[in-house]
Parts: sequence; structure tokens; C-alpha cells
Amino acid sequence: MSGHHDDDGARGAGIRFEHVNVTYPNGYQGLRDVSLTIEPGEMVAVVGLSGAGKSTLVRTINGLVPITSGEITVGDVSDGAAADGAAAGETYRLSTLRGAAQRRLRSEVGMVFQSFNLARRTTVLNNVLVGRLHHTPTWRSLLGAWRADDVELAMQALERVEIVQKAYSNASELSGGQQQRVAIARTLAQQPRVILADEPVASLDPPTSHVVMRDLQRINADLGITVVVNLHFLDLARRYGQRMIGLRAGEVVYDGPAADADESTLEEIYGRSLTAEDVLDAPPAVLE
Amino acid sequence: MLAVLVAITAWAWVAVDVDLGALARNFSNAQNTLVQLFQPDYSFFGETLQPLLETVQMAVIGTAVGCAVSLPLSFLASRATNPNGPLLGFVRTVMNVVRSIPDLLYASIFVTVVGTGALSGVLSLFLFNLGIMVKLVSEALDGVDRGGQEAALASGATWLQADRAAMLPEVAPQYVSQTIYVLELNIRASTVIGLVGAGGLGMLIDRVRTFYQYHYLSLVILEILVLVLLLELLSSAARKRLVR
Repeated sequence: MSGHHDDDGARGAGIRFEHVNVTYPNGYQGLRDVSLTIEPGEMVAVVGLSGAGKSTLVRTINGLVPITSGEITVGDVSDGAAADGAAAGETYRLSTLRGAAQRRLRSEVGMVFQSFNLARRTTVLNNVLVGRLHHTPTWRSLLGAWRADDVELAMQALERVEIVQKAYSNASELSGGQQQRVAIARTLAQQPRVILADEPVASLDPPTSHVVMRDLQRINADLGITVVVNLHFLDLARRYGQRMIGLRAGEVVYDGPAADADESTLEEIYGRSLTAEDVLDAPPAVLE
Repeated sequence: MLAVLVAITAWAWVAVDVDLGALARNFSNAQNTLVQLFQPDYSFFGETLQPLLETVQMAVIGTAVGCAVSLPLSFLASRATNPNGPLLGFVRTVMNVVRSIPDLLYASIFVTVVGTGALSGVLSLFLFNLGIMVKLVSEALDGVDRGGQEAALASGATWLQADRAAMLPEVAPQYVSQTIYVLELNIRASTVIGLVGAGGLGMLIDRVRTFYQYHYLSLVILEILVLVLLLELLSSAARKRLVR
């Protein structure tokens, strides 16, 4: 099993950016001197135009995009001595994280993608079990001989996103919204301390977008998992984020409570006046 | 484009000195042979059974072993599933060499090394299959949507785990379909490589041809025809079900 004990209480991890720069091999600068601290258990919405660095910011946290300079810390980011010693779990420093240590970090950080990223020709259950791969020996994963505990965990994750009846369907048979909820279940099966969501509703229709955002909000509230979500739609960011981070050309231009962001701050983030495309503009559907 | 094709064909025609006249001049010689060929001697059937079975066995074993070994090699030979550049290059180079050698040449080599018989045939078919399968399956892997793999890697899986969990299911229908296709190829190939002594019906063809027993030969050809047709029916039915 995993090397350390999972604590049963609130298990969110903090995330700290210190003067982080990301320059891509083609010279494009994704992030410029970004410094910020996300507290354990926060739900943060990251907004900005496409190309502003939202995806880059989120993908540096699990090392999918390597940072060029600066430091990102995931885990215990409290100043000074930790209050209760060993309880918090491992703390990772991204600038030097490679190999097995990087995989260990990734096992504690779930990720939800814009295009769902499921293996379409296998079952929903097998897709959720991908979240258990890190804790599964190679021979078991090669044979597909999953531990009963892990299958149970995957089923519980499917229950939480209310899609357990589809466990044995092929992923390709599901609607977009259902596929994204399977992807969320996959992150839950990891029992993560952080969930990153990179434009999770950009491929969904408005009512489904609200369902998926509410799933993320509930996971954050119920399980205390830190959630960082990229959003293009400002009304979604204001409704579901506790805190909003605005990016423009790779720099943080707004960082504050999501509720306080008004029209003018948003225009400041976008560098232009708002248009109809910037808001989802649909009330959440009344659930069944 | 068309002009280039015509030019190349014309050059090849002249270069190999194709003489349609020879066909007409020698036709009278062929008359006897043709008459025999159209009168298969069914009493020979008992003697063809054993080689026929051997051909099928060679094809099945060659396909089973070749396709099994080709699966891990295909993952090593695709840029999508193998992040290790030098290893990728090495596997691809070796497989290019394996594929560039024709099955008949493999058979000739193995007949010299391990002697005439079915073992030479199976070894030749194995390498022949490996070349084809790794090429087809690794190219299929290159075209697979890599989203599931990205998600698996992002959750802390190793490349091996991510490829198994997210890439194998995506390529599995194509892998099975190519395996059936390769079995079909092997039935044909195993008769041909028998001509150089690698077992099966080919060796029988070589024997009866040497003794000008064309009414025996025509029975063997008929049997191959029926076998290939049957297999084609089977494989197209199986593949149709896979695609659905």
C-alpha cells in the first residue's frame, strides 16, 4: 500500500508559488514571476483569456509542465514550525522533483481535463481504477488483477458522482457530462489532497456545466480537498470559487475573494470589455 | 505524377524484356499440362492430408507466437507509448531489418541452418509475422487518442502502467483484427515457403511438380484455394464483429 497513513480528517494540501517562471522550448513565456499561496482546503478559480497562462499554472502543480525558475511547494506551506508535526503528510518541492518522487506527488494530486481523457474502449470502472495505479504493483496492473479494496474504492468514488449504475458500461457510451463525472471519480479514487481541473466544463453544455461544478464544490466542502479550477466563464468562477486568481499574459493581475470581483476587475483581467462569450449565462438546472 | 508512373512502367517493361510472343509460341507446350491441371486426381487426397494439416499447424503456431511476441514490441516501437528515444530507435531499426527480409529468404536460411521440415517453416513465419504485426500495431498506437494515458501519468502511474491501462484497450480491436489477417497471410505464405523445403503443402507441390504429376498438383492447388477461401470467410466475419 501507500508508504504513509492517510489521515481521515480534512486532508487538503497547501500550494505555494515563489517567483515561478515558465518558458516553453519555443520561447513562449507561460508564467512570469508568479508568487501566491493557496491554503489547504481552498477552492480557487483561475480566470483569464486563452493563452493567459491558466493551463500552465495548473499543470505546473503536478509537474506536467516543468518550471523554468522559482519554486512550487505542495504540502505543508504554513510559515514556521508545523503545528502538529508529522500529521500533515509529505511536502514536495517541484523544482527538483523527478522520477518516483514525482509519481508520488502525482498520486496525491488528481487532475480533471477539458476533454475528459478517458480510455474510451474500456469500462467506466477500469477508467476509475486508473486512479489506483500508483498503489498497484506492476504485475497486477499488467494482468488487470485489481485488489478488491481498490475496486471497492472505485465504486465508492462512482457513487459520489452518482454514476455507479454505469460502472460496467463502456466509457464511449456515456454523454460528455457523464464522462467528466467519471473523470472526477477517477481523481477521487486516488484519495488526493489536491484536485486540479483544467477547463473542466469547456466541452459541456450549460446545465451539465453546473452539475460538474457542483460536484467539484461538494468534494471540496465535504472532503476538504484543495481544488484549483481553470474557468473561462466568469459567472461560473464567481459562483463556485471562494477565491479568484486572474491571469493576464502570464502574470497574476487579480487575487482576491471571488465574490468581490466585479465587472471592472474582470475587464482589467481580460484587458478588454466583456462580451457574451465570457459568461455561461444560464441558471443551474433544477436537479431531478 | 501519372507521367512519372507511365515512364517507370515503360522502363521496367523494356528492362526486364517482357516478350508476349513467348507466351503464344510456348502455348502448345502448355496444352498437355493444362489438360492435366483441369483433371485433378482425387485418389491422391489421402496423401495430401498430412501436409495439409502441417501447413495449417505451421500457420497457426507461427501466428500465435509471432503475434504474442509482437505485442510488447509494438509498444516499444511506437512514439506514443515509449518515451525512451534510444530504445525506440533501436527497436524500430531492428524491426525494419526483420521486415525487409522476404519470407522465402528466411525459409531458405532456416532450411540450411536447421534442416528441411516444419520447424524451418514455423521460424520463418514467426519472423515474417513479427515484422508485419509490429509495423501495423505500432502505427495504430501512434494514431490512438492519448488522453487516457495522459490522465494515468498525471495520477502517478508509470509509463508501463499507463500504456497497459489506457493504450492497450484502445488498440486491442485492431490488434485482434490484424492477428486474423496475419493468420490468413500465413496459410498462403506457408505453402510458398514449403517450396524451398520448409514443410507443409509447399514441399508436396515441389515433389509432384518435379515428377510432372500435374493432376496431383491440381488437387493440391484446389485444396489451397478452398482453405484460403474458408479462412477469408471466417476472418471477414470475425473482423466485422470486431468493428461493431
